[in-house]
Amino acid sequence: MSALLTVRNLSLIYHSPDAETEAIKDISFDVRREEFVALVGPSGCGKTTILSLIAGLMKPSSGEILFEGIPVSEKAYATALMPQRDQLFEWRNILRNVVLGLEISHKKTQKTVSYAHELMEKYGLGGFEKKHPSELSGGMRQRAALIRTLVTSPELLLLDEPFSSLDFQTRLSVCDDVYHIIRNEKKAVLFVTHDIGEAISMADRVIVLTKRPARIKNIYTIESDKALSPLQRREKGFAEYFKKIWSDLEVTYV
Amino acid sequence: MSEEHKEYLRRLKRRSMLIKLAQAGLLLLFFGLWELFAYYEIIDPFLTSSPSRVINSIYNLYLSDALFIHMKATLAETMLSFALSTFLGTLIAVILWWNETIRRILEPYIIVLNALPKIALGPLIIIWAGAGKKAIIVMALLICIIITIISMLTGFLSIEKGKMQLLQSMKANKFQILYKLVLPGNIPTLVSVLKINVGLSWVGTIMGEYLVSREGIGYLLVYGSQIFKLDLVMASTILLCVLATAMYLIVALAEKIIKRMY
Repeated sequence: MSALLTVRNLSLIYHSPDAETEAIKDISFDVRREEFVALVGPSGCGKTTILSLIAGLMKPSSGEILFEGIPVSEKAYATALMPQRDQLFEWRNILRNVVLGLEISHKKTQKTVSYAHELMEKYGLGGFEKKHPSELSGGMRQRAALIRTLVTSPELLLLDEPFSSLDFQTRLSVCDDVYHIIRNEKKAVLFVTHDIGEAISMADRVIVLTKRPARIKNIYTIESDKALSPLQRREKGFAEYFKKIWSDLEVTYV
Repeated sequence: MSEEHKEYLRRLKRRSMLIKLAQAGLLLLFFGLWELFAYYEIIDPFLTSSPSRVINSIYNLYLSDALFIHMKATLAETMLSFALSTFLGTLIAVILWWNETIRRILEPYIIVLNALPKIALGPLIIIWAGAGKKAIIVMALLICIIITIISMLTGFLSIEKGKMQLLQSMKANKFQILYKLVLPGNIPTLVSVLKINVGLSWVGTIMGEYLVSREGIGYLLVYGSQIFKLDLVMASTILLCVLATAMYLIVALAEKIIKRMY
């Protein structure tokens, strides 16, 4: 299968008045169609920075990011970012939050809005269109944030520690929820997490990064039944991957 | 509803009734004692006036048509400077938010202007704007606008970074970020600025009227004290209390309505 996203020799140097810091060094990987790829690494290693580069929030110092062979900067709306915490706007109701991306890209038409309605209906937010974010549970807010990324019909979703603000129990169920929705919509995902368990239970491949400057330490292909939910996947073979990735990270902590 | 809960609600109601009664009682007590002491000349009514004299004074103003002329003048000046300072202050804050270079260049000037007691500029304002209504409005405007700029700008700059990045990842331009996120996200800031400005614009207007005026409540206050008619001074003060409170209540009501949306 050909790659949807290709990251080649990506490097980034941060400039501050005191010094320049190498944040990312020579990272290459790809994401295939409908593939789940997780980026794990010690905190502060630059995982989120990689997502920001792909989302076009900053420019790399060197290297290239291609989307179906074309520089991602020239391809608007090929990717969509789901930021840390849901970042729903409290002054907008859920429907207006969900269609935010359509408004920004001037694509808010009857067709796209009815698609938004359809997604909300399909994923348990039907009837909540007029509610405000504070009236929803954490899990529902997360779903609304996910639908917000889906309505612009991107091929690749970029998830930045999407569950970090949730408590453990909600987190497991929301994780299942999000996994199911994205599989169902046949999207590719690149997601950043510091939770090894989350990475193994959701991803097809896990990319382990070193501490700063971030480099690729190891890439694991997770062999498991795609029909299983992340929670179910926390059983067979899980511990083995966990140990391997843990030891990768442990070495980098020293 | 359980008996216990009913009892709780009753207690709650009784308590708030009691507080309202005490508030009204305090007012009555104050005016009653004032009237009584003045009547029996325990205090000198020439210096302290008395409620009946105040009412009489207001009535006389009303008879000579002066009451509404003065109230209207002050109210118009206050509302105009209130609206102007809120609008211009927000506009300037938007410009400073938009352009970091301009913001950094102007920062020390804003600090100095904020520290400066604006009343010190009174003589200059009179010379530049003329000894009239314009000077009063400029005075009030100056008092309100700096704090408006600073508060609004602080609000604009404290918008959560994640929300900014979300919009940037959607390829929003700066103008879209402004009117989809920064402005609507700062309505609560605007409301608190309105509450500050409602008080400050009265300060500015009355101070302006002290300096230059031929009408208005500030004028009545100064005039009354110059001719030693304390009845007039007291009457003006009470009128001012009523007007300023009314305006504050309107803003507080607006806040309540807006809060429901947030």
